[in-house]
Amino acid sequence: MSSTKAARIGEEVWKTRIDKVNAELVTLTYGSIVAQLCKDFEGDYMEVNKQLDKMGYNIGLRLIEDFLAKTNTGRCANFRETAETISKIGFKVFLNITPTVTNWTSDNKQFSLIFDENPLADFVELPDDGRAQNELWYSNILCGVLRGALEMVQMQVDAHFASDVLRGNDTTEMRVTLIRMIDDELPPGDD
Amino acid sequence: MVILSILILNKAGGLIYQRHFNEGLNKLSSNDYLVLAGTFHGVHAITSRISPVPGSGGLEVLESDQFRVQCFQTLTGTKLLIFAEPHQPNIDVICRRVYELYADYVMKNPFYQIEMPIRCEQFDRQLVAYIKPKQ
Amino acid sequence: MSNLNAPNSPFVPFSPNPSIQSGVPTATPPLSASKPAQLGSSNLRYASSRKSIYDRHLNRTQRSELSKASFAFLFGEMIQYAQKQVSGIQDLEKKLNIQGYAIGQRLLELLLYREGRSAKRETRVLGILQFIAQTLYRHLFGKPADGLEKSREHEDEYMLIDHDPVVNSHISVPKEMSQLNCAAFVAGIIEAVLDGSLFPCRVTAHSVFSEQFPSKTVFLIKFEESVLEREAVLQ
Repeated sequence: MSSTKAARIGEEVWKTRIDKVNAELVTLTYGSIVAQLCKDFEGDYMEVNKQLDKMGYNIGLRLIEDFLAKTNTGRCANFRETAETISKIGFKVFLNITPTVTNWTSDNKQFSLIFDENPLADFVELPDDGRAQNELWYSNILCGVLRGALEMVQMQVDAHFASDVLRGNDTTEMRVTLIRMIDDELPPGDD
Repeated sequence: MVILSILILNKAGGLIYQRHFNEGLNKLSSNDYLVLAGTFHGVHAITSRISPVPGSGGLEVLESDQFRVQCFQTLTGTKLLIFAEPHQPNIDVICRRVYELYADYVMKNPFYQIEMPIRCEQFDRQLVAYIKPKQ
Repeated sequence: MSNLNAPNSPFVPFSPNPSIQSGVPTATPPLSASKPAQLGSSNLRYASSRKSIYDRHLNRTQRSELSKASFAFLFGEMIQYAQKQVSGIQDLEKKLNIQGYAIGQRLLELLLYREGRSAKRETRVLGILQFIAQTLYRHLFGKPADGLEKSREHEDEYMLIDHDPVVNSHISVPKEMSQLNCAAFVAGIIEAVLDGSLFPCRVTAHSVFSEQFPSKTVFLIKFEESVLEREAVLQ
């Protein structure tokens, strides 16, 4: 599936098949979750990152069914197609954004998602305690979501943030790596 | 359009949901349904391997004089089985809608544990509300 | 705000410090930071090309939309996370209330700012409840609340009714937890807005099943004595 076709599908599904809510409800809810975690782990931001990733993973396991049900996406032919699907359809129908896919490695197993906009982090400023900007990945839940969702369609991936404007970087970039295809649990007949 | 029953199987072939819409059906014991589900899961796997056409999926439609069963398998391995009267058109549409309801009222329910039997009141309600008018 | 603490004043002194003010969940941090935000002395790094959040207009995202699914999944995780930490339904509802409380504090400021010149400071119970039932509800859920009632038995109790809370739309509470209403989250939002408007109270969410509205929720608002006293004076 080409990038333009994916973009068209994403746009169409977003317009016609997705129930919507006020964006601030989502942003504030996510903020409340992160703030609660920071409080529960008493400023241990590495733990907060881990917890966000875990929560994201749990979401991803379920979100994939919603994604498939709403978009009728078939199996992607290769990892490049997966990347376009994630960016133009996946992120579009859930967060109404289309992060840019770039920085492919030569073996086509690793790519970056560059986020121009991040609704989860709207109007967020990290605590000025000298550590948050060096340790906390505010939107880490997204990494877990990708990991969980792709695992359900037989892809084991690693996803992590390489930079974040909340940390003073110039871009917000997530790096996604295909570790392996999970063949043993493949639904019979699909390849 | 008469839908007789809807069954949902998890990835391992375990029966996680069953709902019957027609009083006239023979009642099987709950154990029988579990066996039915497991058997279907196995048959589904076998059919994909013995298919003469390379790269085909598993059993999709089984039609007899008395009924028609359609199996919709998602990319994640979950199977939706729709039992209907023979020669029913548009079962595909029903499959898709049931899948959407499953995503909305089972997946989005924080009290539902993945792969476990479905006991989500809203899912029941929405499914019945969707199917009953069609009978 | 400072002369409100005069001894003969009918107004309730409000302190942002939760340990002083009763009725505030003690786990909620006060909204104002202990040191004022001085950008000059802040140690935060900002992106070289991008501006900071202070350059973005607050109303930019006012009408933006995201998928309801995103909210549902995040809310679901919030519930699951809270469930692991507590042992009873009441404690779970309290946790959800606290998470909603933090949101309510921010929403109150945001909504009043957006009303601009026409913002009215509500001093009467009915006024603030209408603000919640109309302005707040419309902003968050796209629809006003379905009803507002005053209790006949208790002077200090009011009810806000929602026939189908958006937050509960994908949730089916298991039978063994039938007392639980996850809209305790929304109760927290309402409680924060009332507390912040100087109407200290406690808000809880209750499920009321009816054939017509199986998901109907009633938010029970129980005001503190001081609110009733002031209401009587203003009568």
